[in-house]
Amino acid sequence: MIFMTNLVDTVIIFLILTNLMLLGSSRLRTCILVVAIQGILLGILAILLEDGSLGIHLILLSAAIFCLKGIIFPFLLIRTLRDLNVQHEVEPFVGYGTSLVLSPLVLVVCIWLGSQLSLPIGAASSLVVPVAFFTITCGLFLIVSRKKALTQVLGYLVLENGIYVFGASIATIQPVLVELGILLDAFVAVFVMGIAIYHINREFDHTDVDRLNKLKG
Amino acid sequence: MHIEKIINPLLTLVLAPLLFGIINRTKAVFAGRTGQPLLQSYYDIWKLFCKGAVYSKTTSWIFRLGPIVGFAVVVAAATLMPLGGLPAIVAFDGDFILFAYLFGLMRFFTVLTALDTGSSFEGMGASREVMFSALAEPAFLVGLAAISKQTHSLSLTGMLAGPDTALWSQIGPALLLVAFSVFIVFLAENSRMPVDDPNTHLELTMIHEVMVLDNSGPDLGFITYAATIKMWLLGTVLVGILVPHNGNVWIDISTAVGAIFMLAVLVGVVESSMARLKLLHVPQFLLIANALSILALILVLR
Amino acid sequence: MNPGILLWIILLLPVVGSGICQILRSPKNVMNFTCFGVAVIGILDIVTAGVVFSSNTISSCSEWLYMDALSAYHLIVMALVFCMSSLYGMRYFDKEINEGIFTLKSAKRYGILWFASLAAMTLILVSNNLGMMWVGMETTTLVTAFLICTRANKASIEGMWKYLIVCSVGIALAFMGTLFIAAATYKFQGSISGNGVLWTQLKMHAGLLDAKLAQIGFLFIFVGYGTKAGLAPMHTWLPDAHSQAPSPVSAVFSGFMLNAALYCIMRYTSLIKLVPGNENLSRDLFLFFGTLSIVVAAAFILSQHDLKRLLAYHSVEHLGIIAIGLGMGPLGIFAALFHTLNHSICKSLGFFCAGRLGQIYGSYDMRGMTGALRLSPLWGGGLLGSLLALIGIAPFALFMSELLIVKAAIATNSIWVLVVFLAGSCIIFAAALKHVINVVYGTPPVLDFKPRRSSIPDTGIVVFSLGVLLVLGLWMPNSLHEILYRAANIMEGIDAATTVCVK
Repeated sequence: MIFMTNLVDTVIIFLILTNLMLLGSSRLRTCILVVAIQGILLGILAILLEDGSLGIHLILLSAAIFCLKGIIFPFLLIRTLRDLNVQHEVEPFVGYGTSLVLSPLVLVVCIWLGSQLSLPIGAASSLVVPVAFFTITCGLFLIVSRKKALTQVLGYLVLENGIYVFGASIATIQPVLVELGILLDAFVAVFVMGIAIYHINREFDHTDVDRLNKLKG
Repeated sequence: MHIEKIINPLLTLVLAPLLFGIINRTKAVFAGRTGQPLLQSYYDIWKLFCKGAVYSKTTSWIFRLGPIVGFAVVVAAATLMPLGGLPAIVAFDGDFILFAYLFGLMRFFTVLTALDTGSSFEGMGASREVMFSALAEPAFLVGLAAISKQTHSLSLTGMLAGPDTALWSQIGPALLLVAFSVFIVFLAENSRMPVDDPNTHLELTMIHEVMVLDNSGPDLGFITYAATIKMWLLGTVLVGILVPHNGNVWIDISTAVGAIFMLAVLVGVVESSMARLKLLHVPQFLLIANALSILALILVLR
Repeated sequence: MNPGILLWIILLLPVVGSGICQILRSPKNVMNFTCFGVAVIGILDIVTAGVVFSSNTISSCSEWLYMDALSAYHLIVMALVFCMSSLYGMRYFDKEINEGIFTLKSAKRYGILWFASLAAMTLILVSNNLGMMWVGMETTTLVTAFLICTRANKASIEGMWKYLIVCSVGIALAFMGTLFIAAATYKFQGSISGNGVLWTQLKMHAGLLDAKLAQIGFLFIFVGYGTKAGLAPMHTWLPDAHSQAPSPVSAVFSGFMLNAALYCIMRYTSLIKLVPGNENLSRDLFLFFGTLSIVVAAAFILSQHDLKRLLAYHSVEHLGIIAIGLGMGPLGIFAALFHTLNHSICKSLGFFCAGRLGQIYGSYDMRGMTGALRLSPLWGGGLLGSLLALIGIAPFALFMSELLIVKAAIATNSIWVLVVFLAGSCIIFAAALKHVINVVYGTPPVLDFKPRRSSIPDTGIVVFSLGVLLVLGLWMPNSLHEILYRAANIMEGIDAATTVCVK
């Protein structure tokens, strides 16, 4: 049991580190790979957080998460990136250094928030819910402060990852169909966003979303 | 026993220049060269002490004082460091702050001597050095704070010489984070890649080298020797975090010394495989260290 | 025959239709098929709704699919809007088809996405499982995104991207809310036994929900689904998306998709009202966001010069009106649901007219549009009628529903809300009237082509819409009254009879 707790703790800390890497990295390819690692960690977490018996549907679900979030989404995004001909993010609204140093403080706030809510969490780890909030906040931060469309899609994926961690931690029994539906939606979302970015690039010759400002008022 | 008390600083003074040799030899192996002899730094320091010094007309007494103060300070810091399982000669609550600030004093005097020459070249190096140290110091202190919280001790001896196999099972990930952060600080403080290139003397890459450009003779000897001791001391911090203790004094010391040598090899590997970061990215690199330290502190505190 | 099978039919038929679109041979065929297919599905929808009204509820698949009066009412609204839009859309793309811009590939994509959005919206209405309802909502966002940029130009792609990102984030937050509500069920989870978060089950045990978690969950739900509903300040995607999409799509957006999001909020409202300690939460949220929407819409309508953006901001305003109605007790809910129907019909008509006029004039900029009534009596008149109805002129139905909301406000003592509502309505009245008079009256500019004569389906749409609005404004049929009454009861969280005084 202590071993399991330690394992969950280690995975959670890796999750925090992936968020930090996303906030501090300006190379888009690195960001995509980091989100892939997050997906793999999520697949592992799905199994670790279940403190009941290990049913076959849970293993299937974990495998599905592993494949979709760890392999297929990054593959789609790297393919989009290749068509785009960009390497780096342009200078974001909040600089990399600032976001890096702010993020542990945000984590502190999330830990405080997690302690305020009396959630019916499993016995796995007291860090899971705060880290879920932290991941959600990082995802939202990426969407809001970065200027490239691809980074916004990555921010959305991180947001979904955070919500998934939250869902997995509050020990509710969601039927497999709903979970699969949610995964399918995430897949279609990434697919659609990838095609949208391709269209943006073709029409505008760039993918800086802060330059998409013709529609006003 | 007396020998246990003085073996620590003795090893520091004797073995420190070997570190430079190990690093250079590792780099040579990577490059396919034979490289300098391992004891080259000893020869260099001896040669410098035998030479005479040349002082520029624009310098003042600070320029002559700086290297000596630097050396004295570093030897004083050596008395604070525990090695292996052995306690340091001087240990009291809060001595890790003294440790950090002794290095600060050394840095201060180096910067002063650099500015004292009146050359803009050295002034530039001085400003870079100060900025990077300003970013590296919080990382170091916060990392040590995380360890001190867990070991419930405010002294370096308690933090790094206490039993730490139990520590690993408690806060293993946090220790790893602190170790990584201290490694980044190590690279920054000792002016290694990817923060600074110790080999070239080009304006683009110099931070530490440029500050000592005008020193010569025994002064330069003191500075070089002090640099090696500083590297040894920071390496001891890292080894104290990472390497578990056994109980037997001699095994612990040899493990610790061996670990420091391994650290030197690692630095050599890092230097050979990474290019120096763009100057604008160095603060970001140091902020990563800061973020990791704060994260470790959060993990320990919760 | 088990009436539950009807639910399956109306859910799966659009999917089948989507598949058939793939194999058609010409753009014209695709457009004709959308009209025909949606008409068939629309009739089945109305039949299903009729069955629901006569037998109170129908469910299927161990209660995963479920319809009661509230969903059946929205089903009727959806059927109406989709049928009208498909009929209109049949001829809308004629010019582009003739010029070869609207190729077979674009037509097929349009048809497939059209049916898929119908399927997704039906999924929202028929699902009892709140997770599946969320899946349906998210699917509508993804599927309709590419409907916006049917004509790929810079503005439409920009609008599409904003829509995609803002609504995806909003719906992700709504999912957080769903998770919180699911977490709040821990006291009675044993009896749910792995069936997921079913609305009917939650309704039965609503008193046992953990109050704080349910509160946080409802807040997330409101903000999340409110983004999709276009409530301020989450409405920022609305003007861009609605103005850049082709008119049939805009009509569906404004006419039903916003209401679908509000429907999701309504489902949760009926739960939260039964949780001890949270009875007033929904009322406060509805009133706050509703009044904010009206204020924001009034501010932006003043300075509009794009016709479709004007209509989009009217959508924000009317969704705000529906929201404040939902926050004002039984009479308000009744009025708000009535307003849903009126607004959907009226807004669809508005977008149809705007679309045609835009095609005639070549752009949607109102500064260049004058004399629409002379240029095209049908569409100019339709625009005039729909905008007059939108700003609440009697005796159109919108006036009646807004009057009911005023009554409800007085009855529940929400005086400040009433003041803001009336002030906003006055400002919008003046501003929109100025815009529409400029567009509709005056001398038309000289155009290099003569607009073709309006066809019978087009005339039928305009006359039908205006007619329904007029009739409903003067007389509410008993069946409609009964339907609204039952739907309002479900939202109030009560099943027993409550006196609701109307007129």
